[in-house]
Amino acid sequence: MLNRAGISALVAASISFSYVPAFAQSKGTIAYLLPDSGGPFYPDAGKILKEFLQQEGYDLTILDSNNKSDVQLNQIDNVINLKPKAIIVAAVDFDAVVPGVEKAKAAGIPTIAFDRQIKGTTVGLTSVAGAVEIGQIAADQAADLLKARYGQVKGNVLEITGDPGDAYSVSLREGFDGKMKAFPDVKLVTKPAMQWEPTNAANVAQDQLQAVPNTDLIFYHSGYLASAVTAVVQAAGKKAGEVMMIDGDGDPGGLTQIRAGWQQVSVQQPMPAQVYAIAMFLDKVLKGEEIKPGKYDVLGLEGTMTNEKWGPNLKIPGSVITKANVDGPSNWGNGKVPQVKVQPVN
Amino acid sequence: MSHDNALQADFSAGPTRQIVELLLEHAVWLILIVLLAVFCIFIPGYAQTGIFFNILEQSTFIGLLSVSLAIVIIAGQMDLSCEATMALSAMVTAWLGSSQGLNLDLPGWLIVPITLSAALLLGIVIGLFNALLVLRVGVTAFIATLATYIFFRGTVVAFNGGKGIFGLNSDLRAVATFRVFGTPGLAVITIFIFVIFSAILRKTPFGRYLYLLGGNAVAPFRAGIPVVKVAVWAFVISGLLSAFAGWLLAARTAGATANLGVGMIFEAFAAVVIGGVSLKGGVGSLPGVFAGVLLLTSIRTAINLLGMPPQYTQMIQGALVLAAMTLDSFKQVIRVRYL
Repeated sequence: MLNRAGISALVAASISFSYVPAFAQSKGTIAYLLPDSGGPFYPDAGKILKEFLQQEGYDLTILDSNNKSDVQLNQIDNVINLKPKAIIVAAVDFDAVVPGVEKAKAAGIPTIAFDRQIKGTTVGLTSVAGAVEIGQIAADQAADLLKARYGQVKGNVLEITGDPGDAYSVSLREGFDGKMKAFPDVKLVTKPAMQWEPTNAANVAQDQLQAVPNTDLIFYHSGYLASAVTAVVQAAGKKAGEVMMIDGDGDPGGLTQIRAGWQQVSVQQPMPAQVYAIAMFLDKVLKGEEIKPGKYDVLGLEGTMTNEKWGPNLKIPGSVITKANVDGPSNWGNGKVPQVKVQPVN
Repeated sequence: MSHDNALQADFSAGPTRQIVELLLEHAVWLILIVLLAVFCIFIPGYAQTGIFFNILEQSTFIGLLSVSLAIVIIAGQMDLSCEATMALSAMVTAWLGSSQGLNLDLPGWLIVPITLSAALLLGIVIGLFNALLVLRVGVTAFIATLATYIFFRGTVVAFNGGKGIFGLNSDLRAVATFRVFGTPGLAVITIFIFVIFSAILRKTPFGRYLYLLGGNAVAPFRAGIPVVKVAVWAFVISGLLSAFAGWLLAARTAGATANLGVGMIFEAFAAVVIGGVSLKGGVGSLPGVFAGVLLLTSIRTAINLLGMPPQYTQMIQGALVLAAMTLDSFKQVIRVRYL
């Protein structure tokens, strides 16, 4: 029979064996290398990624390369020494990052490309928005707005792109301009906001409104530029809705203007879905298992997985935000982490 | 007598020399007028009052940064942090004056002076910090202000986690949209700043001390001029003007983003150099700098109105600036050869 001391000892032992410190439960660390925390997109993706990866038992380390490709390469070198389970990288420059990815591969660490395709080498998974398709959706929305105004698709449209060297902006333009070509009565003027700097966007809008006072619609590639553009539209004496506005990424700045009534549509990047996709396929990537091409439901969006030269590529379409759904929790611009349980793909 | 000597003799004589000197002194204005004429002729939509008002209005931020840069450079120093000061000031202004920031819910007659005071105080603090690093610690101005540029640019990003702050109070917004007899208020403010500081540089002892200090730091010291105090004031004025530019920038863009104003330091430098301020110090005047600012903004406006593919914008802008600076440098050649 156990005496009191023996029972106490047994209880103490069972407590100590049942308590497992958090670090002992972690399956390892994953590194997330973001290009720039100067806007909310990549940092917010990091927050969501952390939440999803924690569900699967991984810790997340986040590094910011401040838009410098050489810094990002150095970060990959450093991170390799820490032996993470995987590296998730949103490349500053998708060609410059290739040597880093290959070094990681040689060290047995798989790389996952987030939001920016790395085509110069193979990676474990690429999770991107269909930027060309987002541009096309924006063009469809623009056409609908112009038709609602004139009964046909016609009018003056100003497109304010991001930095001309930015791949996302280049793809958006490809999609938008390609679709707008089908409407010969639309006069489209395209100007860049160099370095995505809002003052440059404001100057472009101000000059165009002076040259073409009856501008019907402005499409800026990011809601980041919305406030500055709206300010000059207001200063030009226009009323809300007189110059219609669309953004091409779902940035919080655009959502603010939708709530204020100045902007009509945002075609958002499916950032939460892009992040969720990484969590969905992470086990397969880590085990080196085949990822079958096909359609996948990713947070309610239909992602298309294809096998490309650079590996499995999942493209997720953008979605439209209007005043009706501007406060939706799935809009990344609202800064909310989706409250969902990660369902890994078998 | 050789041909060149003959020409020199001609130019050296009376009124011709004076006219040529005047033209050389204000060469940048001539270049501006010529370019504007060319743009008006060849770019549809350029030749209208609204566009010229746009140029004046859009010159505000580069203009204010150029004045702050010119003052420190004339004093023989350097301030690379002015763009970062402007950006941080804009962010603080937006934070204090926006519904997405502190959301103070104060009436306009309070929110305007509160945000302006906060912005100017920030400018003074940064200016004093730069002065401390350079004049007390002894770090070279270029290095010290480069470091503070990087630091305060990072502060802008960290301030709100990389997110922009929007929803600026409407009374604060009105600072950027008011007009004076049809002229944009920002343009009036810019011209006022240039006039005031031109007068300070030309007509006041402090202005003369700045030139003396920039020309030769030892001689004014030996003459009993408080050179350290003058240099401190140069940094403080630079910080003040940059912060004021940030306050106006927040009003113009109805908020602030983490990359607001990025790249403006280079344009401000170009305007200062085009305007005739010597990077060695002790030489230069603000009217020339103003012309340089207008030149750069006119070029940018021309590109905005041209139907050029956007990927060529920066290249074209750089080429036009290079052409303007090359033309300006010819004046030195003419001066040396013929006067």
